[in-house]
Amino acid sequence: MDTDMDIPLPDELEWLEANSHLHDDYPDFDDPSQPYPQDEDEDEFQPQSNHQNHQQLQPPKPTLSIPPKTAPTAKTQIKKRFRSDGQDSSVTEEGARSEDKRKRGDDVRLENEEGEGEGAEEDWLRYSPPPTGTEEGGGVVEEDVVVVVEKVVSRFASEIDGDFIPVTGLDGERVYAKMSSRVEEMNGLKKVGIKVHTGGLISEPINILIQRAETQAFTKALQSSVEDSSDAILPETPVVNEKLWVDKYAPNSFMELLSDEQTNREVLLWLKQWDSCVFGSGIRTTTDEVLSSLRRHSTIAQHQKLAGRSFSRNNRGHTLSKGNFEVNNGLGLESNDAKDIPESWDKKTKGSGPAGSPERKILLLCGPPGLGKTTLAHVTARHCGYRVVEGRFTSDKEDNEEIIFVSYILVINASDDRSSSTIEGKIFDVVQMNSVMADMKPKCLVIDEIDGALGDGKGAVEVILKMLSAERKSDVGKEDESKEGQIGRTSSRKKHRSASLSRPVICICNDLYAPALRPLRQVAKVHIFVQPSVSRVVSRLKYICNKEGLKTSSIALTALAEYTDCDIRSCLNTLQFLHKKKEPLNVLEIDSQVVGRKDTSRSVFEIWKEIFQKRKEKRERKVRNGCSSMSKDFEFVHSLISSRGDYDLIFDGIHENILQLHYHDPVMRKTVKCLHSLGVSDLVHQYIMRTQKMSLQVYQPAIAIAVRGLVAQNERSNIEWPKSFQRYRTMLMEKMDILRSWQNKISPHISRHLSTKSFVEDSISPLLHILSPPTLRPVAVHLLSDKEKKDIVQLVNTMVSYSMTYKNQKADPVPSILRHEAVVEASMLSFDPPIGDLINFKGYSSGHFVLAAAMKQVLVHEVEKQKILQGSVSKSMDPTDVCSKGNLTPVGEQKGRAQSSAFGCATTSCAENMQNAKNTSNLRHSKLVTNQVSAASGSTLSATASVQVSSPGPSKKPSSGSFNFFDRFRKLSSKGSENADNPKNKPATSERDSRPLLFKFNEGYTNAVKRPVRIREFLL
Amino acid sequence: MLWVDKYRPKTLDKVIVHEDVAQNLKKLVTEQDCPHLLFYGPPGSGKKTLIMALLRQMFGPSAEKVKVENKTWKVDAGTRTIDLELTTLASTYHVELNPSDAGFQDRYIVQEIIKEMAKNRPIDTKGKKGFKVLVLNEVDKLSREAQHSLRRTMEKYSASCRLILCCNSSSKVTEAVRSRCLNVRINAPTEEQIVKVLEFIGKKEGLQLPSGFAARIAEKSNRSLRRAILAFETCRVQQYPFTSNQAIPPMDWEEYVSEIASDIMKEQSPKRLFQVRGKIYELLINCIPPEIVLKRLLFELLKKLDAELKHEVCHWAAYYEHRMRLGQKAIFHIEAFVAKFMSIYKGFLIATFG
Repeated sequence: MDTDMDIPLPDELEWLEANSHLHDDYPDFDDPSQPYPQDEDEDEFQPQSNHQNHQQLQPPKPTLSIPPKTAPTAKTQIKKRFRSDGQDSSVTEEGARSEDKRKRGDDVRLENEEGEGEGAEEDWLRYSPPPTGTEEGGGVVEEDVVVVVEKVVSRFASEIDGDFIPVTGLDGERVYAKMSSRVEEMNGLKKVGIKVHTGGLISEPINILIQRAETQAFTKALQSSVEDSSDAILPETPVVNEKLWVDKYAPNSFMELLSDEQTNREVLLWLKQWDSCVFGSGIRTTTDEVLSSLRRHSTIAQHQKLAGRSFSRNNRGHTLSKGNFEVNNGLGLESNDAKDIPESWDKKTKGSGPAGSPERKILLLCGPPGLGKTTLAHVTARHCGYRVVEGRFTSDKEDNEEIIFVSYILVINASDDRSSSTIEGKIFDVVQMNSVMADMKPKCLVIDEIDGALGDGKGAVEVILKMLSAERKSDVGKEDESKEGQIGRTSSRKKHRSASLSRPVICICNDLYAPALRPLRQVAKVHIFVQPSVSRVVSRLKYICNKEGLKTSSIALTALAEYTDCDIRSCLNTLQFLHKKKEPLNVLEIDSQVVGRKDTSRSVFEIWKEIFQKRKEKRERKVRNGCSSMSKDFEFVHSLISSRGDYDLIFDGIHENILQLHYHDPVMRKTVKCLHSLGVSDLVHQYIMRTQKMSLQVYQPAIAIAVRGLVAQNERSNIEWPKSFQRYRTMLMEKMDILRSWQNKISPHISRHLSTKSFVEDSISPLLHILSPPTLRPVAVHLLSDKEKKDIVQLVNTMVSYSMTYKNQKADPVPSILRHEAVVEASMLSFDPPIGDLINFKGYSSGHFVLAAAMKQVLVHEVEKQKILQGSVSKSMDPTDVCSKGNLTPVGEQKGRAQSSAFGCATTSCAENMQNAKNTSNLRHSKLVTNQVSAASGSTLSATASVQVSSPGPSKKPSSGSFNFFDRFRKLSSKGSENADNPKNKPATSERDSRPLLFKFNEGYTNAVKRPVRIREFLL
Repeated sequence: MLWVDKYRPKTLDKVIVHEDVAQNLKKLVTEQDCPHLLFYGPPGSGKKTLIMALLRQMFGPSAEKVKVENKTWKVDAGTRTIDLELTTLASTYHVELNPSDAGFQDRYIVQEIIKEMAKNRPIDTKGKKGFKVLVLNEVDKLSREAQHSLRRTMEKYSASCRLILCCNSSSKVTEAVRSRCLNVRINAPTEEQIVKVLEFIGKKEGLQLPSGFAARIAEKSNRSLRRAILAFETCRVQQYPFTSNQAIPPMDWEEYVSEIASDIMKEQSPKRLFQVRGKIYELLINCIPPEIVLKRLLFELLKKLDAELKHEVCHWAAYYEHRMRLGQKAIFHIEAFVAKFMSIYKGFLIATFG
């Protein structure tokens, strides 16, 4: 820039002199980049005096408009400096005075700042248009305005007593400034400047520029860390044409935020709660009063704030005026000393942990895109004096540090095992360390789009959670440590390396219910963004449009905002696009114009609501748009449904809820039609699934809309999630499973003729009848007549062949024990494959006869005996047949015979065992285990003691039924020992073979007469 | 053992119900040349029994010695391997399996496993029976793809293996498969035949049947032999010396359906329809096939219906059953039928009684 400078010709000088103020404005119009470098210059010259600054700044501006000439740069500068002074000679006094004034102003400001604390201070520095407007006024009208700002400047002339002058701001805003007597004294000197100004040739006098530059320099000095704040400081420079409006008009201060007031304040409050932890208690802790007042602000409605807003508010529109307010607000927070601090709040601060950090250490902001979540996080964090470090998992940013951060995570996720530790290190750095930079600002980690990337986001979520839990643990131990300053803290943390969160972490997501966020959701403080009101959005848009010179009507803007669901980003982009195209915003054809619909998917519940409920506001539009409303409506719902997809679920939901609606339907025609439509959707769905012709999916939304046309009501309906179909599916699977496993247990001779599909249909009911004959008397077996005995044999036979038994209803992991218990508490016996359930329809009582409990007991015993007998019979009679039967009918034990054909038995049972292994019946497996255990104990016992029937339980347990190969081996060995014990009693194997013996001991079966008996007594 | 199993004919000669079919099959087998066979007919008509008897006829009594195998197959399907679990019943001569158990992966079973089985010729081919028999159950439940791959297998390995297919409805078996098989229709036994069987069993059991009692059971059995015999045994268990007017215990689910039907007749409103839905779900959950539910429901409704409505209601039942079979969610269609019925019936009531 300096190279362009040159020495003007003498006459030009004169001209320049006359128009020096005018030229000051040129850079604003001509060179868009001008103000920006200027800032940087100032950064460098920061330590220098204001005066020097002022001189350096001035020269380039006038010279810019002059055609370039070749001249040595260095020389030019000096000359220029001189010249500029000279040029200003007519206003030297004024200049000096203004400088004087400026210093005073700075003093005042400094005082203010000291009082305010940093948050407010920064607010003040980051003001946007309106405050500068005031400054302009101050610049023109000199000292008084700056010194006593509130009193002297007013929007209305009538509010000022005495003399005043009108001051027009850059953006055409006009305020009236009071002229004090001192000003009047100086009037003579100043007249030139004022005349120039009022002459309309120049809208911004040189003084203002100087002042602004100073302000910027000052800002720089205070917060050079916030990189992008430099351009943010000059939001009103209309020259930055290539910037997106979205960025250009991004809110820079807390008060400018467009999002919901309540949320904003809650977030701010949350961040403020970190103060004592982050900034240390001594230095900058936000006092409880501030917090409480903040809290009050967040709860109390807006009118309180309105009082604080003094001037220039109506003109600028609602949102902008907040910028004005913020100076006051910063003070207001302080001055608003809350005498009535809510008790609950007090408690909260105390309960929030010794470190002074809030209870919930993570803030999770969620909401649809474009509502300003990220902006809120950044602005608030900056507002509270943090340095924002952003981690984003889906996109890179130009910031260097962020790239490192992002790339770390991305790279590391490739190898899973290292990932969390390295991310942890990185996050640890951010969350705990002090930045090495000059500014000692603590960092605030903002993780954007945390739900976006499942794999990547998860790592971070895990790490954060880990830190959080570490914090919880360590909190108990060190309480005093937390009171140290942050340097002490970091070092001590480093020592034991327990990473914990000592800096605020803000996570931002669109979908709160993303699976990756499930753990985070529980620990984080969740804020759900709601749409800002249309009016707020519109007023903001209007303001921006005015700024940009785009002609719009508020109706059009309202329509636009509604159309985009108050997504201000989308609105702004649209407007900018239209602006570039030089097209006006057309109200009626908003959707046909450039505005793209966001591809957002609503939740299923919203869709169901949309289907079951008529829209009210659509009605209004109907009146306006006439006949096209139907198609509008149609299109709206159509896009809603089709953007969601997942038609299966949508139709399930419709089906679930449709009968609960109250629509007028005397002959059920509508219901028929709806169900018919649902049927059609099912057909289409099935066809699509079978043929994979996904393009046919487009017809699904239309079906839903057809249903909507039939049943949509004005009243609210309460919509339920479709559970019944899922329930039906899982239950069906369950029952099928029962049937199938049962079928596998039945001997193949029978089961091959059964199919699980027709089983319930055909056989269950008669089977239940047959299995519980009412003719059977519940008496002891030996009391029955022959015929009845035959019946019982028949029944037992049937039960065995269908591998049915009774068992205790309480699910017990050990079935063999169960059977013993079943004898004791017989009342709870039920069929083992629970086939009774299959006819147990809701609200239906089947007239099945249920056997007496005693009878069931008898049956259980008989069935068991029968199984055992059958096993032994099948083995002795037809060894090959075991292969077919062994799998299904548990092979019983053989006492005497087993030994005589020990080898054969072992081989057959070998084969059987293999089958068993294949048979994956759970029951069998558990039996196997228990039997092994009991058999082991049994064998040891029988080795030591002689086998006695009355000897306590365990030794006899194996006899209750041995089912597997190992078991049999053990028994054989135990029997071997037994034989060794009683060689006299069993001299020959032939003798034993002649008396096959079966014994069984039932532990706790109390109606037996107990007395010690020896086996040989049975045998002889 | 239940009578159903006890008195199941083991050989083709002993078959009572489908005697003609049995004789034909016997002739077919003894002439050495056995084509692929497709047995189809309603459940409980004796398809399986015939197949077993046929196998016995072919291979002798050792064909009855079967063992259950539950094996996991690893099928290489292009890029990945699929684990399929399949239960088979196998003797030395034949393998019996239910390919539709694998659900949508059934074609892998057909393509890989069945092919594998079909390829292996039995080793003891002493000029006697040079082929293996594969019995596939529920072929009609196979997906189209599986059926298509089946026909290739049928042709390619026809030298070493014979397929015996068994299904309820031949209409769901593709033309191509059907044309490669000898189709054997096993129709439901007539009531006379059922009576014959019941009398046979009664004689064997030494029971005294009052006249007309067997006929009553047969009438109630819906022409399913299995049901008839089960009902017969139930009666025997409940009250032995039979009386001719003895109550035959009904099937529970049928009772439930008739409850639903009376619910429907009592009130026609969306609210009632909602209750009906819950009950239908109950039935479906307990493994009653939706077709059966719909059919039974129609049957129960028709009993209570005015004659002039019967035709229309039948029409709609058929209409919705068709859609149900095309679709996936049976409940939608059954409910649609119920709603339609309610609508018709209500309209009728209003028209008749004002």
